[in-house]
Amino acid sequence: MLEIKNLTKSYGDILALDHFSLDLKKGEVLGLLGPNGAGKTTLISILAGTVRDFTGSVSFLGRDLFADRSLKNRMGIVPQDMAFYEELNAMDNLLFWGGLYDVPRAELKSRAGEILEMVELSGRIKEPVKNFSGGMKRRLNTAIGLLHRPDLLLLDEPTVGIDVQAKVSILDLIRKVGVAGTGVIFTTHQLAEVENACSRIAIMDHGRILAQGTLEELIRLVGEKDIVEITGDFAAAAFSETLQDLAGNGLELLSVADGLAALAVSDTEQIPKVMDRLFRRKLAVTDLKIKSPSLEAVFLKLTGRSLRD
Amino acid sequence: MRRLLLILKNDVRRHLKSPLAIIIYIIIPLAMTGLIGIIFGPGENENTLPPIQVVLVDHDKSLASRLFLGAFDADQMKKMFQVTVADEAEGRKRMEKGKASAMVVIPERFTLDLLDIKPVTLEVIKNPAEQFLPDVVEEFMNTMAVILSGAVQAFEPEARGIRTMLDLPVDAFPWERLGPEFGKAQKKVVAAMKYLNPLLLSLKEEKTKAAGAKAALSRTDIFSVILPGMAIMFLLFIVQTVMRDMISERQDGKLRRMLTTPLRTWELIGARILGGWLMGIVVLLVMVAFGTLVFHVHWGPFGWFLLLGAVGAFWTAAFFALMNALVRNRNQAGALGAPIILAFSLFGGSMMNPEGMPKAFRTVGIITPNRWFIDGAALIRDGRFPTVSLLVLTISGVILLAFAVPALRRRSTV
Repeated sequence: MLEIKNLTKSYGDILALDHFSLDLKKGEVLGLLGPNGAGKTTLISILAGTVRDFTGSVSFLGRDLFADRSLKNRMGIVPQDMAFYEELNAMDNLLFWGGLYDVPRAELKSRAGEILEMVELSGRIKEPVKNFSGGMKRRLNTAIGLLHRPDLLLLDEPTVGIDVQAKVSILDLIRKVGVAGTGVIFTTHQLAEVENACSRIAIMDHGRILAQGTLEELIRLVGEKDIVEITGDFAAAAFSETLQDLAGNGLELLSVADGLAALAVSDTEQIPKVMDRLFRRKLAVTDLKIKSPSLEAVFLKLTGRSLRD
Repeated sequence: MRRLLLILKNDVRRHLKSPLAIIIYIIIPLAMTGLIGIIFGPGENENTLPPIQVVLVDHDKSLASRLFLGAFDADQMKKMFQVTVADEAEGRKRMEKGKASAMVVIPERFTLDLLDIKPVTLEVIKNPAEQFLPDVVEEFMNTMAVILSGAVQAFEPEARGIRTMLDLPVDAFPWERLGPEFGKAQKKVVAAMKYLNPLLLSLKEEKTKAAGAKAALSRTDIFSVILPGMAIMFLLFIVQTVMRDMISERQDGKLRRMLTTPLRTWELIGARILGGWLMGIVVLLVMVAFGTLVFHVHWGPFGWFLLLGAVGAFWTAAFFALMNALVRNRNQAGALGAPIILAFSLFGGSMMNPEGMPKAFRTVGIITPNRWFIDGAALIRDGRFPTVSLLVLTISGVILLAFAVPALRRRSTV
């Protein structure tokens, strides 16, 4: 349904997308994971048509996305911003934003009613949106992207800044949309979200996809190793130097920054050895966490940095 | 076009939901017009002065002093002066209390000295607390003195005749001589009548209406002059407020979202400019309606004024479209917009009568929409078509729009 080939976009000297390629099938829900600056929002913006001056091609439903304007009617966008009119009520907002698409006028109101039901806002149709909670606003933001029943739904961090209940509701909606046959790409920082809602996960950094697949496929990339996260008062260079000779011998340095490091160990008996080395070198350790193989470990392994970086 | 109209409809709906800013911008110019008109305009009894309070102290109580009193009693003078006859002590008391503008003292033997053709002095005491009214009394007394002096000199023989009789006791008064003396005086008057009646010179009162003429303005005229200036100033404020939405939408992501839909850039820009223009016209119509109903403003031919208003609103929308395309954010637009509008209004004549402005101000005013709008409104009020104002506003508006559209297109993409 969607085929992205060699998409490249720069902002001055900064390469936001570097020959980025991706396929998406009908009904597939793809979670795009990446740290800040990985290029996720640039990708969504190019697909949405709000960023220009790039190279590469995007085919959607067998047609060039940027040459065929009518394809905009087949795509729904849920931006990170709460992009609607707060002084209007939910129904008026849906009628306005839906009206910008080629939805038959007669259908627009009934569709708006249905979608408000779906996002559990039907009880507050006449209330100005400014009175809504953050979670309700996020649901309305998502509803606007779905009103015209798109074949492809793009969501840019749709769960930022909302409570757990609202988050669960939006993820549930995304799953349902996928089941109904709409292809979905959504970007997020939250590993748990993609684990729960996505049929496929892509990890990207520096404008490229580093790995993609199902959750199980990705976890296999780090093998059966445990992840050790060490927090303390140390310099990255000193930390790496201290453990250099242990690396490759059942221990892998996943990411090292000043005060925070992540290691993959095949045997937990290696942890005392690591700690001994650090104490001898007088590198202060304040916390240590051992985690089972997970998407986070994959992420750390692939990007070399934590998602919060 | 369907989407353009949808955006327009949505904007109207939004502004109706929170109309406070627009209502304030409509009320302020009307209130300011009312206040300025009331404070600086003439009163309801146009072109009349309050009666001047005069105290007359008559020490003579004779023929000539009665003539003076009679002069004050004439129809026109009655409207101008309110005369109180009093003795000198009471008169001075009234003056000290500020109850009179001037006190006129007619000396003893005033009539006798006049008939003797001797110099005689009338005393006018003026109230120093008042600026103009005592001077009016003084001028009036001067005029009366000239008239009386002339009359006495013209009728000198008759005056002397009558004077000799006045010294005689009542029982010896020669009544039989009085008739011939008055008869001689009457003959002089009759002889003079053919020169005096009909008068060769007469005055006709008429108020001018030509533009630029220094005609006295009634209160209604004052409102008619002030309101167009206020209207264009607050039209600028309203259109700026409405069109600042473009920047807000750019900042909060609504513009990006709109551009992900099939909406075309020209539809978006067109809707915004058309929205600002229509809002300007609607607001202007509200001001015209209020001005007509409340202040009885005379606008001239309404169709012409509507055309001027439409062109003024177009210029305003084009100007703020360009400004909004050039500024980075809403704060910048706010910081720049208000000073620009105030400068336009100051130099363009919204804040003061252009005729009273320094030449440099008037020269700068040529580049402001206020100046052309106010000039146009004045011409329409005088029943003349404002061709130059319409041309200047239309052509400069089109030029502004020509710069605004590509700038807005650039701003609409990231």
